[in-house]
Amino acid sequence: MSNSEMIISNEELDILQEVMNIAFGKASADLAEIIDVYVVLSVPDIKLLKTAEVPGYIEAEINDFENISVIKQNFTGKFHGSALLFFPGGAGKKLFSLFDCDRAEVPESEDLSVVLEKDTLLEVGNILIGASVSKVAELLNDEVSYRPPRIMVERKAGEIVDWDLVEPEGPAILMHTVFSFDERDISGLLFLIPSYKSFEWLKKALHAFLKQYE
Amino acid sequence: MIEKILIVDDSPVSRKIMKSCIPEDRGYEMFEAGDGQSGIEKYQQLKPDLTFMDLTMPVMDGMQALQQIIKIDPTAVVVVCTADVQMKTIFKVMNLGALMVVRKPVSKQSIEDAIRKAADKLQSIKE
Repeated sequence: MSNSEMIISNEELDILQEVMNIAFGKASADLAEIIDVYVVLSVPDIKLLKTAEVPGYIEAEINDFENISVIKQNFTGKFHGSALLFFPGGAGKKLFSLFDCDRAEVPESEDLSVVLEKDTLLEVGNILIGASVSKVAELLNDEVSYRPPRIMVERKAGEIVDWDLVEPEGPAILMHTVFSFDERDISGLLFLIPSYKSFEWLKKALHAFLKQYE
Repeated sequence: MIEKILIVDDSPVSRKIMKSCIPEDRGYEMFEAGDGQSGIEKYQQLKPDLTFMDLTMPVMDGMQALQQIIKIDPTAVVVVCTADVQMKTIFKVMNLGALMVVRKPVSKQSIEDAIRKAADKLQSIKE
């Protein structure tokens, strides 16, 4: 058995992938219900990394974005950790038009435009992160609460330095999917990073999830 | 009458869950494929009476696989199993010829309902 398998087995990763698949599917359906957009999902990807490798991995994934906006939200429960949702620059303005058809024009005032962009991204983040994390918690028989989200708008990828690396040598499970907003030329990347401290519970919960079908 | 069931899903866990929800006492022959492309190949090779099809898969997604299978066999009975229950998704797969959509996580009841509906459909095709 390799070191990584001691942390989480391949079977547990398979179960987690299916749980994520269901959770991300729920998130896209919730978002589509609120705004008139068809959300296309990529196959969820799960990586087992050292915590210290997470920033580099994420930065490589968002390398194509010249500017980015990111919404970060921590969640607590037996399942606890961080969710990060990345959008390329300008996404907030495009998404704003989807929320309010009567006022689809972005205001000319620069200040108001930034405020609306932030509010829109926060709303989208709230739906995608909330639906994904809550569905994972529900499937694994847990209940989570959320810390207030933080948002950074139109930054360079390398400027996101607040990674909260408490245990850089500790393991991290990185789960991510790409949400593409069909016909709108917008896509975002959602990462869920459970805390190492919730791994023990997570492993048990994943087996319990599968056991109900045996 | 349903004898052969094909499950097309990239997740081994999801396939295991699906199989556990299919009643054992009916003696169905069950087959599996891990992506849309191999799903089409298995379909052509096995001609299953019922195909359960996931949507989000690597290599070829379930939407394309469904489209191809219906092109090969317009009477194919395909039930889409997905967590993506957007109205537009349901509309698209029904338009492509799916019999119905079952929401993930599946349950014994939802699979039982799908099998019953598939059996009715097969019966009506024969008549």
